[in-house]
Amino acid sequence: MLLNLKKVFKWVSVGGARTFLLKDIDLEVNEGEFISIMGPSGSGKSTLLNVIGMLDGFDEGEYHFLHESVHKMKEKQRAQLYKQYIGFVFQQYHLIDELTVYENIETPLIYQDFKSSERKAMVADILDRFNIVGKKDLFPTQLSGGQQQLVGIARALIAKPKLLLADEPTGNLNSKQGEEIMNLFAELNKTGVTIIQVTHSEKNAGYGSRIINLLDGRMENELKQ
Amino acid sequence: MIKNYFKTAWRNLWKNKVYTSINITGLAIGLASCMLIILYTKDEVSYDRFHANAPNIYHVVSKMTSPEGNVSKMGSTGNRPGPAFKESIPETKDFVRIQQSNFNVKKGTDVFDEEGHFTDGNFFSFFSFRLKEGNSATVLSDIHSVVINEDLAKKYFGKESAIGKTLEVDPGNGFEQFIVSGVAKNSPENSSVKVKLLFNMKIQQRDNPDNLWLNFFQNTFVSLQPGVNIKAVEQKFARIYEASSEDEAKNAAEQYGLKDKISYELQPLLGMHLDTAYVPDNGLYNASDPVYSYILTGIALFLLIIACINFINLSIARSLARAKEIGIRKVAGSERKQLIFQFLGESFLLSFFGFVFALLLVVLALPFFNEVSNKALSFSYLFDIKLIFLYAGLFIVSGLLAGFYPALILSKFNPVDTLYGRTNYTGKNYLSKSLVVLQFALATFLIIGTIIIYSQFNFLTHYKLGYNDDNLAIVKTGSIDAKKVNRIAEELQKNPAVVSIAARNGGFRSTSAKIDGKEINLAYETIDKEYLPTLQLNLVQGHNFTGENSFDSATSAIVNETFVKTAGWKEPLGKKIDFFWDSGRIYNVVGVVKDYYYSSLKETIKPQLFTMDARSGKYGQLWVKINPANTASTLQFIQKTVRMALPLQPFQYEFKKDINAAKYESEQKWKQIISFAAILTIFVSCIGLFGLASLAAQKRTKEVGIRKVLGAGVTDIVRKLSMGFLALVLIASLIAVPAAWWVSHKWLQGYPVRIEISIWIFVFALVLIVTVSILTVSFQAIKTAIANPVKSLRTE
Repeated sequence: MLLNLKKVFKWVSVGGARTFLLKDIDLEVNEGEFISIMGPSGSGKSTLLNVIGMLDGFDEGEYHFLHESVHKMKEKQRAQLYKQYIGFVFQQYHLIDELTVYENIETPLIYQDFKSSERKAMVADILDRFNIVGKKDLFPTQLSGGQQQLVGIARALIAKPKLLLADEPTGNLNSKQGEEIMNLFAELNKTGVTIIQVTHSEKNAGYGSRIINLLDGRMENELKQ
Repeated sequence: MIKNYFKTAWRNLWKNKVYTSINITGLAIGLASCMLIILYTKDEVSYDRFHANAPNIYHVVSKMTSPEGNVSKMGSTGNRPGPAFKESIPETKDFVRIQQSNFNVKKGTDVFDEEGHFTDGNFFSFFSFRLKEGNSATVLSDIHSVVINEDLAKKYFGKESAIGKTLEVDPGNGFEQFIVSGVAKNSPENSSVKVKLLFNMKIQQRDNPDNLWLNFFQNTFVSLQPGVNIKAVEQKFARIYEASSEDEAKNAAEQYGLKDKISYELQPLLGMHLDTAYVPDNGLYNASDPVYSYILTGIALFLLIIACINFINLSIARSLARAKEIGIRKVAGSERKQLIFQFLGESFLLSFFGFVFALLLVVLALPFFNEVSNKALSFSYLFDIKLIFLYAGLFIVSGLLAGFYPALILSKFNPVDTLYGRTNYTGKNYLSKSLVVLQFALATFLIIGTIIIYSQFNFLTHYKLGYNDDNLAIVKTGSIDAKKVNRIAEELQKNPAVVSIAARNGGFRSTSAKIDGKEINLAYETIDKEYLPTLQLNLVQGHNFTGENSFDSATSAIVNETFVKTAGWKEPLGKKIDFFWDSGRIYNVVGVVKDYYYSSLKETIKPQLFTMDARSGKYGQLWVKINPANTASTLQFIQKTVRMALPLQPFQYEFKKDINAAKYESEQKWKQIISFAAILTIFVSCIGLFGLASLAAQKRTKEVGIRKVLGAGVTDIVRKLSMGFLALVLIASLIAVPAAWWVSHKWLQGYPVRIEISIWIFVFALVLIVTVSILTVSFQAIKTAIANPVKSLRTE
């Protein structure tokens, strides 16, 4: 088992009344799974993803990741954990505009104290794997959306995470580019990377092994394929 | 990692050239002013440090305490203290006396007036002045030896060696021959004692023997054993003085009414330059007031702080653009600490550029700064190991000051908020606002200060002094009597361009006299009958002096109105004034002259008395009123005539108007300093405001687009965008106005003649600062307002 959430609640208090963002979430994720989270706008998909990614906290419940109790950790320990095991992909790609493709991909390695020579080898390797060696010295604004997302995924994978979290990774792409990205995800999943993605598209959700439907912060039903 | 930080920092700075240049310019100005002030202060505290024995050398100063407890302090002493203290106090190792005088020196047929000093023979072993030629132990041992500096050696002997050559000098009682026994290197700029023309003190003692304690005319330095208790030595001084001056003090009390108690104190040589209690003068040079250092340091720090405020404000305002990057870095695994270092790295990179430009600015500004600060600082002073550390410190401080707060704020961003665009950027931002208020309050304060100083300066230099100083040349004559004056006057009058000629004693004198048993202090002048008409002074009562030799003139006095008021006379004419210290000198008041500012407008008018009595001393100056047309040839005529009459007197003249103007030199300097500071402050504040305004406009591009689509006009939008900033500027001026009023009010109290602080000064300052800020802010606002809304909405 990679992670599990037990009775997780998250809320915001507005004028004394609690608005629940997540309500009673129980979720177990095993290594090697490919999960899609679906649901209408505001149902808590991204929130759930961020909680799993440890970028966001929660108010009640337990969260275990690789047998460590995330809910008892201090922020620093959590950061230590997620930077080692989790990679993020965003709908808006979120590349640093001032850095080149190469440097963007290299950034997580820098924060994990890899040596310069190691970094070089790892980045070269992934550039090669994603077929973007020729783009390595370009800046994000010089790339198409699909290419930017490819760089975003390369950056998420560079430190060899166990878990890849993707928040609508194809939301800003045309259908052809989207399909390429989803195929890439499927391939990655085959090599053993656990993936959790948030998506609106039934078709994209179909790539996964399990679909979780959220409504108003509550898990509606689970569908195994 | 460092490389990565540096790369992002560099690209960030490069991409945002406007903000980068605002920050670098501001920091460069702030740092450059700090560097200049460090140079200035270093020079100030370096005074007299080059003497090997400096820590053990003290200046003997005199303190006079009146029976009522009033204390007056002066740096001068007489002939006695030095030898007396050395003889009986073992802690006193040695002493040296320095007495300033002016000497006429012959070079061929020309005679020059040179400033020089009488001193004791051990001068060169006591101090560490270097001799270019000559033996420092024996150089002043002979009574007819003279030591000159390099400049004088060049002036009188050209390229030849001056040693052993003869110099004809008049040390006071006629020309004598002196042998040049040594040539001293020109004294360092930062020396209170300067070697110009040095004679053996014995000459002075031969011509004017003076063995009194109660006479204060020269500077005495002593060197003490290291580590002695200064207070104890001062007490020993007091005992010796009291024991050996008893008779003299009694005599002075009886004869001159001198009841003050004298005590001697020790002023460390190293603290002398900046001591305002005992000002080093009377043959010591460049006395300074530490207040200059304080004010200049204050201004420099203000500028640096304002520049740092710009940096802080712009960084915070730009956090919007950086938020995404911060989020990404956090998601990629960055810790907060690492982000703080990254942002600090950027601010250090900026300060570094600022620093480099600051060095350039210092090089460019140094000549101007030297002029304003009366210094001869050179760029090479910068390369001093201590200073380099200080600058490194300054660099680190400014980097931290500017970078730390933004780094803290920026690194705190929550990645989820920033990446999902949920950050609340429209916070109240009180810090930024108060910093802007602070900047503009300072700027307004300095503008008002500048206007006040300008007006006061203008007022002083154009104030009617009560006499006419136009075209009035004052010619130094040396001591001459009335006969000689008449002879010269006769010759001068042959030229129609010479309007009138009057004679007066040299220098300013003051004394006390008894009136109806009461003692009053007064300034007194020996003049001739032409003096009052030449100055176009009006008599309010009585008449002018009539003839030069008549008994009447010798026993008459003319006084000013203040004198009459001080004496408490209703009917001044015929009243008696008793110069009791010189028995038999009693004057009858024959005239009252209207009060006029005989000294400077910075001093109140004191009781003044004029006499033609020969006992009151000889004449020393001719005041010649000339026709303004063809001044040059008239002056040549005067020179020829005076030189013919006084062949051994170097011809020296000055226009009274120039002398009067020179009295406001320090005001002139402050005027320059403050106005320069004001301009820089406004400039640095405004570029900051410009940056803020453009960022704000950028942030509101979408809002402006929507408003335009909804039908808002350009003026509405410009007003909307500018109002917030203008409100800050107005608040700033409301803070600055009372502060500026209070400070300038205090400052003006120091002047008996001063401007009224008019409301218009403040109005003018406010209009100025508001106009400048409107121009600054609206430039950006207009740019945003006239942009096509379709474009701005699409880019969102």
